[in-house]
Amino acid sequence: MNNTTDRSEKKILGMSIGAGLLLVIVAIATLEATGILQYVYTQRAIKKEATERAESELRGVNHRIMDVVNQAEGAVINNMWVAQWCLDNTDNLKLVPQRVLEVNPSVVGSTIALMPGYSKQHPLYAPYATRDIETGEIKNLSLATEEYDYPSQEWFVMPQTVQDGYWSEPYFDEGGGNMMMSTFAMPVKDSKDNIAAVFTADISLDWLAELMENSKPYPNAFCAVTSRNGQLMVCTDSARFMADTAGDASMLRYSAPVKRTGWTLTITIPEDDILAGVRHVGLMVKILQILGIIMIIIILRVIAKNQIKYKNLSAQKEVMQNELRIGHDIQMSMIPKTFPAFPKRTDIDIAACIIPTKEVGGDLYDFYIRDEKLFFCIGDVSGKGVPAALVMTVTQSLFRATSGRESSPAKIVSAMNDSMSEKNENSMFVTFFCGVLDLLTGQLRYCNAGHNPPVLIANNPQSDNQQTTVTPLSVQSNVPLGIVPAFAFKEQQITLNYDDSLFLYTDGITEAENAALDQFGEDRMMAPFHKKHDASGYLDAIRTAVTDFVVDAPQSDDLTVFVIHFLAQVDSIKQERHLILHNDIQQIPQLADFMETISNEKQLSQNDTMSLNLALEEAVTNIILYAYPKGADGLVDIEAVLREHSIEFIITDSGVPFDPTTVPEIDVTLPAEERSIGGLGIYLVRQIMDSVHYQRLDNKNILTMLKNV
Amino acid sequence: MNINIDNSNGVTTANLEGRLDTPASTEVAPCFEQLKEAAGGTVVLDCSKLSYISSSGLRLFLALRKETSVKGGKVIVRNISDNIRQVFMMTGFLNMFEIQ
Repeated sequence: MNNTTDRSEKKILGMSIGAGLLLVIVAIATLEATGILQYVYTQRAIKKEATERAESELRGVNHRIMDVVNQAEGAVINNMWVAQWCLDNTDNLKLVPQRVLEVNPSVVGSTIALMPGYSKQHPLYAPYATRDIETGEIKNLSLATEEYDYPSQEWFVMPQTVQDGYWSEPYFDEGGGNMMMSTFAMPVKDSKDNIAAVFTADISLDWLAELMENSKPYPNAFCAVTSRNGQLMVCTDSARFMADTAGDASMLRYSAPVKRTGWTLTITIPEDDILAGVRHVGLMVKILQILGIIMIIIILRVIAKNQIKYKNLSAQKEVMQNELRIGHDIQMSMIPKTFPAFPKRTDIDIAACIIPTKEVGGDLYDFYIRDEKLFFCIGDVSGKGVPAALVMTVTQSLFRATSGRESSPAKIVSAMNDSMSEKNENSMFVTFFCGVLDLLTGQLRYCNAGHNPPVLIANNPQSDNQQTTVTPLSVQSNVPLGIVPAFAFKEQQITLNYDDSLFLYTDGITEAENAALDQFGEDRMMAPFHKKHDASGYLDAIRTAVTDFVVDAPQSDDLTVFVIHFLAQVDSIKQERHLILHNDIQQIPQLADFMETISNEKQLSQNDTMSLNLALEEAVTNIILYAYPKGADGLVDIEAVLREHSIEFIITDSGVPFDPTTVPEIDVTLPAEERSIGGLGIYLVRQIMDSVHYQRLDNKNILTMLKNV
Repeated sequence: MNINIDNSNGVTTANLEGRLDTPASTEVAPCFEQLKEAAGGTVVLDCSKLSYISSSGLRLFLALRKETSVKGGKVIVRNISDNIRQVFMMTGFLNMFEIQ
């Protein structure tokens, strides 16, 4: 039992705890996977978007740079022919840079530096025009100074080497503008296709810084331009640019080359910046997930608790039902159920049964024989279930206890009623019928306590076709047991004849319903009794009738049927004789006279007379010698009941309790030497009489002995 | 109840007459004590005039019979009526005595 309880406690919604836990884990894993997947895809999308933004910025910056670069290149290329034309006239040549500056506002400086020795007048000649940043005024200077030594400068050498336009490495111009600059330089060829000079245009890179600053796609991103040699030209955050290493995965780097210049644009974006949003969303999702999981766990716990409570309840219910079943079995075991009930008797035949509903019931019947009297009862406790069952057992115990000392049905019922109404706090009551049938005479004394009147099935000896007369027994209903304390129950009496039957029942029979809710009723109940049966035959007939009527409709109440079939050839009393003796052994001879009288009246044989005299003397002697204390005066009351076929002695004394029927049998086959002196008297009584009964009633010993004659 | 005891030829004969009921048994108990003295020989209980016997009477018979067992004599019960024979039969006394 406990095992099943434990097993069921560990189940939630029909699953084991393990399965439930697995469910929770799967749910959590699914949620988590969804979150991660969402995060990954969002991250990927955001990174893609960041890339696009960065590349778009790069393109924009590149365009802007190219504008300036194109201007500078254009300034040189467009004025190349002028430079070539003025090569031989240095005075005119120095006007060219000035003109370049005037036409191109992006160009902050320009020079045309002659190859050393090209001019006869000036071994070195490099007129230089520069724009004052503050005033915008164009100044004409010369780079042909000894300190500067322009022929060794990168911008002068590289164009000759590459034979084409060349963007110099950025440099800080201390002389001219005090700013970061880069120079586009292009060789100028003379008419003989020899390089005669190098024509340059300088651009300031200060605007680049501003441009870069405005091109940051994310607040913590930084943009940079590096030269061909990897020199940092401009950077919005040079410290971080320097610190950034290619291996740092937390930085996303986007770069694009600037055409012709050898520069590289770079935008570096910290991943944190890009993913800040998605991480924020991810965090929110995670918090919501955790809340969701907590909710799931709480809900599951609540369900599990309820489930366990429910399981416990149903387990308790099962235990309860099991106990009810046991209770029912105990109840049924108290009722005589073995039939034929008295296999050795030919004067009485009984059949009875309770067809119980599933629960314990409140129906009862009982019977037993004491002093050649059949004590019987039937009862129906109000209500159903355990309370009714308890009252039923109490009722039956009371019947047994009370009828053991009382022979009057009214006294039995009254005593039971007094006991039951004394402490009847639950207002339970019992309809009850009690009868005492004298098996020798057929006299039936009965008392009804609010129960259905039994049915008398009278044998009709004149009828050839086994017809019977069926009538409800005339009863005073009185009141059910347990209601009115000290109620004066009325006793009634009839005499049963040979082959009469009495049918007792509870209202479960008459109130049995079929599917159409019709009740079985008394007429249907009495119908099967019109044909003669024995006790079990009547029982089978009524059971069949009820079953055929009810068919499949559920039984709502206990059904109890109880048939008493009286089969004694009634020996009616012819005469009664009475003798009272004192406890004096000298009175014994009176018994002989008493027997003589009886013998004359009954016309007994001499043998029977002597035998009866002997039995009587032995019984009475026993009382005279042993019932009363020595010297005390006592009486022995002898009543002889003479019937057609029997003589019965009822011997009563008020002495000490003594049941002679319990004296052990003596062994009459022993040889004389081994025979004991005592025990002969009782032995003779038993041998002579056909039945010997003892009872102790009202402080009296009552010995009843009967002999068929 | 009367008992006449006659002693002749070494045989003690008791003639029982009347009803040997309980009070009578008490009455005749001394006679049976007297008979026990002859228990070494043959004791004849003539019951031809005994009309009734109860258990107390039977006990006297039995006591005498036991005495003969001790002393090596025997008890002969003679001329019992059918009624008393029936009682003897019921109580197993028929087998304990020599019935004539």
